[in-house]
Amino acid sequence: MLKTRSPHRSGSLRRTETRQALGFISPALLGLAVFTVVPVVLSIVMSLHHWPAFGERSFSGLGNYVDLFTKNPDFWPALRNTAVFALLYVPLNLVVALSLALALSPRIRGRGAFRVLFFIPVVTPIVANALVWKMMLQPQGLFNGVSTSVFGIELPNFLADRNWAMIMVVMMSVWQGMGYNMLIFSAALEQLPTSVIEAARIDGAQGARMIRSVVIPMLSPAIFFATVMTIITSLQVFAQPQLLTGGGPGNATMPLVQFIYNQGFQFQNLGLAAAAAWVLFVLIILITALQFKAQKRWVHYEH
Amino acid sequence: MHITRGLAACAAVAVTASLAACGSDDDGSAATSSGNGGGDGATIVWDMWAGSQSDIDALEETLAIVRDENPDLTVNLQTAPWNDYFTKLTTNLSSGNVACVTSMNGQRLSTYAEAFHPLTAEDLEKAGLSEDDFSPGALDIMSYDGQLYGVPFDVATMLVYYNKDLFAAAGADEPQIGWTIDDFEAAASAATTDANKGFAVGMGEFQWMALPIARSGKQPVDESGNLALTDPDFAAAATWYAALVTDDDVAAPVPSASDTGWGETEYSSGNAAMAVDGTWNAVSYLGNDAGFAAGMVNLPAGDNGATALILGSGYGISQDCEDKDAALAVLGSLVGKEAQDAMAAAGRSYPARAESQPLYFESLDDDVRDDVQAAFDAAFANVEGQRSTKNWDQVNTALQPQLVSVYTGQASMPDVLDQAQSQFGD
Repeated sequence: MLKTRSPHRSGSLRRTETRQALGFISPALLGLAVFTVVPVVLSIVMSLHHWPAFGERSFSGLGNYVDLFTKNPDFWPALRNTAVFALLYVPLNLVVALSLALALSPRIRGRGAFRVLFFIPVVTPIVANALVWKMMLQPQGLFNGVSTSVFGIELPNFLADRNWAMIMVVMMSVWQGMGYNMLIFSAALEQLPTSVIEAARIDGAQGARMIRSVVIPMLSPAIFFATVMTIITSLQVFAQPQLLTGGGPGNATMPLVQFIYNQGFQFQNLGLAAAAAWVLFVLIILITALQFKAQKRWVHYEH
Repeated sequence: MHITRGLAACAAVAVTASLAACGSDDDGSAATSSGNGGGDGATIVWDMWAGSQSDIDALEETLAIVRDENPDLTVNLQTAPWNDYFTKLTTNLSSGNVACVTSMNGQRLSTYAEAFHPLTAEDLEKAGLSEDDFSPGALDIMSYDGQLYGVPFDVATMLVYYNKDLFAAAGADEPQIGWTIDDFEAAASAATTDANKGFAVGMGEFQWMALPIARSGKQPVDESGNLALTDPDFAAAATWYAALVTDDDVAAPVPSASDTGWGETEYSSGNAAMAVDGTWNAVSYLGNDAGFAAGMVNLPAGDNGATALILGSGYGISQDCEDKDAALAVLGSLVGKEAQDAMAAAGRSYPARAESQPLYFESLDDDVRDDVQAAFDAAFANVEGQRSTKNWDQVNTALQPQLVSVYTGQASMPDVLDQAQSQFGD
């Protein structure tokens, strides 16, 4: 049918359709422009200026970036804290989530209920979660109370101790975040092709061997997705340290995002905050790109 | 075709309209609550912190007084909780959207001073105010670098609050007005038992600094306005303060840097016999939820006598305000006799207006009134203005998480002060 139409007619139709399409898409485009493109461009501009929340603004070139890396006493510790958090949190989260998903195999009765239980921390407000953890971890709290009364051992002041605070932030974050990845792994596990599993079983694969050589390779796309997303969220961590330790003691648990928040909204230095945000952005993009590069070696999409 | 095109146009219009509605939300949000504001004159927005519905209700009462006194103006109130107030203010400042009449806390004024119109004697007169209306030193609260930026609505100073029940249970003598640092140490150790500590250390700026200042007689900012955290006297007093936790064991270490109100919470939940807090919380401590009998005294005197700072909050007029005269009229009403009387009579805050101050004590129960008045009189007797640097707020934000390490003994107070001094001092 189309072939019989004259080029002119189809051209004008295309133009009309293009115009209509633009009309339909314009609200979304407008939203994208107002809420994404403009702020992104503005944040680049800000990062190149000395930009106090109010008062005189002045162009400073790469001054903010130089300040961050050479002068600011909190930036490197913040970068280090973010890295430490990600290095501890991501593997732990994935291992716990995968173990839970595997443990809640179809043979478990009431596994739906268990899934809901493990998922609850994901959906409860993080402020409430942090409050409960704080009440358990402080010296007058549950853990120390039980430990001193039952075993006579005084536990460290977890959230105020430089060496323990980050570990506790990671623990709480894993507890809070494992349910999400567990659900992803559970869903992937249910969709494993039974034919492959059966073939492996006939070949004598069982237990750990089955998991290592059959299940995990077949889960690798899900694991890859979970890893990418978890690394990104771990680099953006803010609420857990902010609520649990306030970034302290000292700056022992202050991650990059909290540094950005403090610079921008406590110290009114929006230029420096924007520069730090761009450093974080570049970091996230680089790591994510690396992962996509590396996935060819270990992610199997064939099934 | 026409229908679809029409639909698309409708959708676009609808979205634009809703965006426009969003866009005007910031200055319009208060307009929705304007209700019976009336008046065809200028619209003045009054921005204030309020943590609860009862706070907002109280502010609405003040608002009604302001509207009555300025029938030709439309006055709107917008609020945010205390902790968010300054974050929101910063955001509003960067977007040039600051309310004409903006509330400001004296301790934070140095950071925000340039956002406010400097006020002259002539301005005060226009607002129907006179310097003599206010209690001595009150205008210092809203002054920075010798310039007045607002008018105070309340005055405050730090007190030592104590738990009469815990003192009685420990068989210790209660603190007395006119006591000394030595008396304080004796009281803290006498009130410390297996079940509770005698004292709870603070994390907020003057919740912890008040005692070091009282002991040394020195402020952490010198007379020329430079940061002086490493002043030997102040640093020694601060070290003494930290030792209450680390050496004397009369106070518990703070469990987390996010416990920014540690001392006050410990005291009000009955876990510590004493804590330092501002006069602004006197009424809430007297009616505490834990149900203990609360007492209060002025800060203990050090070797150089009793040194206490006058603190408080006030209202200023923002630089962006288009109708300064109207804003001045609102300002005059907000700290006028009627509004101040109402605030004092409700026991909400100790008013800055001298003639309204007695009403505050009248609002208290008979059995505590004389004690509170005696404590207030002693505490306000020798107050001096609080000196501040431009980055004072940052200094405190940076110090706070370090204090936790000091209290656990993982860092030393002199080191922490040195570090902050070198980071923020000139």
